[in-house]
Amino acid sequence: MSSLAGRGRGKIRPPRRGLASADVDFETTWAVLERAFREIHTKNASALSFEELYRNAYKIVLKKKGDELYAKVAKFEEQWLGENVRLQITRLLTPPLMVLDASGRSLESTAEKRISGEVFLKALKEAWDDHQVCMGMLTDVLMYMDRVYCTDHRQPSIFAKSMGLFRDQILRTPVKTDLPTLLDILKRIILDQIQMDRDGEAINPHLIKANIYMLEGLYESEQEVEDEKLYLQSFEQDFLGTSAAFYREEGERLMKESDAGTYCRHAKRRIDEEHDRCRSTLSESTTPKIQRVVEDELIRHKMKGLIEMDSGVQYMVDNDKLQELSLVFDLEARVDPKKSELTRAMQKIITEMGTNINNAAIAASTAPPPAAALAEKEGEKSKPASSAAKINQQTVAALKWVEDVLALKDRFDGIWKKAFEEDQTLQVALNRSMADVINAFNRGSEYISLYIDENMKKGIRNKTQAEIDQTLEKAILLLRYLQDKDIFETYYKKHLCKRLLLNKSQSIDVEKQMISRMKIELGNSFTLKLEAMFKDMTLSEELTNGYRNYINSLGQADPKRVDLSINVLTSMTWPLEAFRGGQTSDQANESGKTQVVFPPQVERVKMGFERYYNEKHSGRCLTWLSNMGDADIKATFPNGGKDGKPRTHEVNCSTYAMLILLLFNDLPAGASISLEEIQARTNIPPNDLARNLQSLAVAPKTRFLVKEPMSRDVKPGDRFTFNDNFKSQFVKIKVGVVSAGNKVEGDRERKETEKKNNDSRGFAVEAAIVRIMKQRKELAHTSLLNETISQLSAQFKPDVAMIKKKVESLIEREYLERIDDAPVPSYRYLA
Amino acid sequence: MSAESDYVTLISSDGYSFVVQRSSACISAAIRRMLDPSLGFAESKTNTCRFENINGLVLEKVCEYFYYNEKHKNSKDVPDMDVPAELCLELLMAADYLNV
Repeated sequence: MSSLAGRGRGKIRPPRRGLASADVDFETTWAVLERAFREIHTKNASALSFEELYRNAYKIVLKKKGDELYAKVAKFEEQWLGENVRLQITRLLTPPLMVLDASGRSLESTAEKRISGEVFLKALKEAWDDHQVCMGMLTDVLMYMDRVYCTDHRQPSIFAKSMGLFRDQILRTPVKTDLPTLLDILKRIILDQIQMDRDGEAINPHLIKANIYMLEGLYESEQEVEDEKLYLQSFEQDFLGTSAAFYREEGERLMKESDAGTYCRHAKRRIDEEHDRCRSTLSESTTPKIQRVVEDELIRHKMKGLIEMDSGVQYMVDNDKLQELSLVFDLEARVDPKKSELTRAMQKIITEMGTNINNAAIAASTAPPPAAALAEKEGEKSKPASSAAKINQQTVAALKWVEDVLALKDRFDGIWKKAFEEDQTLQVALNRSMADVINAFNRGSEYISLYIDENMKKGIRNKTQAEIDQTLEKAILLLRYLQDKDIFETYYKKHLCKRLLLNKSQSIDVEKQMISRMKIELGNSFTLKLEAMFKDMTLSEELTNGYRNYINSLGQADPKRVDLSINVLTSMTWPLEAFRGGQTSDQANESGKTQVVFPPQVERVKMGFERYYNEKHSGRCLTWLSNMGDADIKATFPNGGKDGKPRTHEVNCSTYAMLILLLFNDLPAGASISLEEIQARTNIPPNDLARNLQSLAVAPKTRFLVKEPMSRDVKPGDRFTFNDNFKSQFVKIKVGVVSAGNKVEGDRERKETEKKNNDSRGFAVEAAIVRIMKQRKELAHTSLLNETISQLSAQFKPDVAMIKKKVESLIEREYLERIDDAPVPSYRYLA
Repeated sequence: MSAESDYVTLISSDGYSFVVQRSSACISAAIRRMLDPSLGFAESKTNTCRFENINGLVLEKVCEYFYYNEKHKNSKDVPDMDVPAELCLELLMAADYLNV
């Protein structure tokens, strides 16, 4: 070696000046280089001087012999690879490895196949590694050539050239004629190994990875275009194809064999596995592609089937399998950002469950016990008790409905939070389904209002502020879904009115909170009237106090004076007909006109207050609604106390009951009065009269009167006597008012409400149309429809037919006219 | 000499030797590869490079440049390095050779 180096040095030692002019013999210099290259390939480089080789190559290039050198090097490499390296690898090929379709018919066990495959992979890897290292060294030595010659002559660098040679000489050359090339064998071996890995056998990922690296490092052509890597061109396609086939088959098998949860877990595991495999065994660049393949095969094509399986989403929801649901979500989210399948399934489930709740509520409210049904037929006068039972039943149904809907909502919210990663699209879908469910139930508005009513009266007792907040929040939540907000408003007003006037509400503060929440949710106009009701209450209180002070200031301390407390209500804001329960509107009008007759002592107070009120507010008309009042009276029962001593009770009863009782004041003991007589003397509407008499004469705890004959019903011709023998252990007695319950409307009431509601909607629609037309002057029919609907959507969802009717009526009344020669049907506003 | 020390020796054709910092010398791609231990050439074993076609005068200037470069690597407004006119051609050739 040293003699060789010495010879080279002796020959080419340059004169001190003019490196370029040195006389260089190409053949000799090349001989030096060739010998050195051979040494490098046999890993004996340490004895070589880099400087010397570099200098030799440098000189050849300087002498413009770069092309010759390039060709020589290429030829040298080609020979080396063709003769030495290929031999080494082909020696390792066992016969079965050479048969391309060996996978099916191979006789050897997988283990053997794996081992021989691994040996082959190892050899190839080593050959490749060696080649790379050597070529790295060669390239360094020939750096000057690369830099000067290759760049100037647009040749691929010697490194790239030699990589190409490796590809052609080793991978692309058939082992023998008629046999596959090493590349094909390599591909098949790798695919086999991956298949083994999928089947759960251990393989050596590093070995495969190294070979994949090799394929990634090689290109189709010398140009080294990025997407023409050998890996992409020849391996990846096959890999994806095989995987797709494998997973399609596996997916179908699993769909048949296992339940949805298992399937999801499996699919998830497979995806993760492929991900890992790409990292550890194949190339990162394949990850998205193989994931797509797996997703396609295992999820996208199967999702629908999966969700609809017996053990699919329905089952998971029913059994609260949150984890599995979240898996399904995860999988679906991978293939479809909109998650349409899952969304559809969830919506279907909600609708189904919601419909069940609705049906249950309807069933519960329309299937009263037979007795009550009978009573209902006989009319409301006959058996208020049983009809009250029916009403109670309905109320319970209403409360149950609300609770059920809330539970449903809670449940799906829970699922959404825990399993669906709070996904936006799903939330929208779930909300829409909830709204559908709630709106599909025609009594929704009433029931929600009833729910709030119930809570205001009883529910919030013994509850902390937080719990109350929660209850209110729930109610608002339902309200948000509600479409017909105007109907809700009607009901709520009615219920609120009862609560306020009858002092049923537990806490005015909570009421006010509720209103303010509604204000936030539904806007100012919605709560305007509700707030006005509260204002009336406050004003009335002031008024009562004012009146009391006024009376006191008059100075005549009359012990027999009747104390008066009054609520003055603005007739527009209060739904007062709510208290004429059970009457048709005709009757209501009538009773509104006819004034009951007050006994003189009460009448005096009434007059006094009217005077006082007119002094303060002139021009206002007071209408007395005595059917809503109540009274505290002291009644003395001759034989009420122990040992037959007289005893005085404080009785709280309705105004009507007070009137009735006062009648007996003037009567001699033991005398009786007939129903007709009472009616004539008090002018109380027959309905209310019957009801009050019932509570006074029939209810066992408050039997101040004795009825003749003794029966449960109050009938014309009955006579009443004061019950001298009334006994009670309490000083204070409250006379229940039969009808003042928390209840669902009866059918008649409902019809009425609906009718009224339709009327008020009609006005709202008309107002909206006029508003729009006034602003636009001329507008096409369709856009008028759309604008009207969008304007009113905050209150309710208007009926198109209704809008059309209203437009017609406005045209009749000459607010609008049709534009005759317009291309589309249009209207003009007539000022 | 250890396989990889911080200093390397550059020897000119007329026998002058210069001990320079490895990192500075490796500015030259040729020298860097000569000394790359993973390639395993003789130079990397001895940490010594013998240049048969560069004389001491030029190699001195080359080493001067190595340090000059190292010093001003990251600064702006670098003062010009003083190069005697008669050395210009030879320096250029050496630079080409060393791929500086």
